Amino acid sequence: MTTTQDIIQRRSQIITTFKEELIRRLNLPYTPEDIHEDVSLLGSGLGLDSLDALEIVLCAESCFKLKFPEDGTSILRSINTIVDFVIAEQDKQQGGQQ
Amino acid sequence: MRTSPLRDKLAALGATFTEQNGRELVARFTDRAAEYAAVRDNVGLADFSFVQVFRLPEAKGIDLLDTIVAGNVPRIRFGRVLHTFLADENGMLVADCYVANNDQELIFLCESIVPDADITGLLGPDAENLTSTHVLLNLDGARAYEVVKETFGPDVLGLPYLSVEVYQFEGTPAYLFRAGKTGEFGYQILASVSVAGSLFDKLYALTQKSGGRCVGFDIHQELRLEGRFFNIHAEGKRVRDPLVLGLQWMIDLDKENYRGAAAIKARRAAGLKQKIVGIAADTGLAVGDEVVAICHSDVLNRSLGLAVLPVETAYSGLSYRLSSGTTVQTISMPPIMPKSLKVKLDEV
Repeated sequence: MTTTQDIIQRRSQIITTFKEELIRRLNLPYTPEDIHEDVSLLGSGLGLDSLDALEIVLCAESCFKLKFPEDGTSILRSINTIVDFVIAEQDKQQGGQQ
Repeated sequence: MRTSPLRDKLAALGATFTEQNGRELVARFTDRAAEYAAVRDNVGLADFSFVQVFRLPEAKGIDLLDTIVAGNVPRIRFGRVLHTFLADENGMLVADCYVANNDQELIFLCESIVPDADITGLLGPDAENLTSTHVLLNLDGARAYEVVKETFGPDVLGLPYLSVEVYQFEGTPAYLFRAGKTGEFGYQILASVSVAGSLFDKLYALTQKSGGRCVGFDIHQELRLEGRFFNIHAEGKRVRDPLVLGLQWMIDLDKENYRGAAAIKARRAAGLKQKIVGIAADTGLAVGDEVVAICHSDVLNRSLGLAVLPVETAYSGLSYRLSSGTTVQTISMPPIMPKSLKVKLDEV
């Protein structure tokens, strides 16, 4: 049975991995703790542009070995929405292997 | 109490007014659901003249503002707008600010939770106070671009988010800021009181043509939360610590001197103990204890909120029992996909 602690641990690991890679790739002037998971990635918030958006997609794809849908704008709203997508894809992949 | 130059027009349209720190503003008109739908589907016109506005000559303004706000003012490129905040000496929030770089001048828009005089006193004589000589009108919505395009021409479609451009309206300069806080297209128009009435009439007529209506600040606050934009008047006023609120992105972390810098740096070094997180419930939420902001999402038909929780539990995707006994779900924000994100302005 999955406990609350399991959910937190899994999510926390994905968030940390993704933030560290994002900071490295985009050379962001923050530590992972400085970036709130709900902060807007594009436009407001971190203020990233469309080129950065591509880098975010590549970052998530390489970190978690998955593929973003062609029109994935809605997934890129925040780190949390990306993490939701990663978790859903991982669950799908694990379901497919069973 | 400071009132809007457009008060009579707004009252005639059914506005209900409220007061905040000595400033009168429109709380709402007559139909909350219609105001919500106007912004999410079409366009909402709102009077934001309660926001304080200042003009500073670039030469003096850069240094002055840079020693006050948390963001990096010298780095603002021409034609762009910096979204940042103003704190007190304890590093606690006082105002949500835009600083716009318009050639030889800086325009400072300040949405504060303190009386006007506190901000005016801070800026000193080099800042020209435009607050009572100008009006600030907001257009927000999935079709807001139609209204500004009709008013100022098709060039406005090329304005990126957080930018400023000056247009002419009846022979007087009108500053157009692309800077919404709802998740939909957002524009703010700053114009002289001398043309305020005719500008409002024109924008209102075009707003109606695009299926929109006048909206008040109450619905703006709900839409800010639903779009997960920071609201100084809700969670900002209740929490006040920018780090707990996740506003590190508004701070130039390398900057040494700005109001509250030492306190903010010390708290950052000590590490966060609490953090803000989105919550949702099928029943109504109320502000109190952990809950610092609430709204109703008509799109999701759910109550949404923001709660301050211990960092160990501030994760999306959990069931959480609040001190009040209510069980909520922690959620990823923003929980909705704004219609504006599907519109490509270069193809309009």
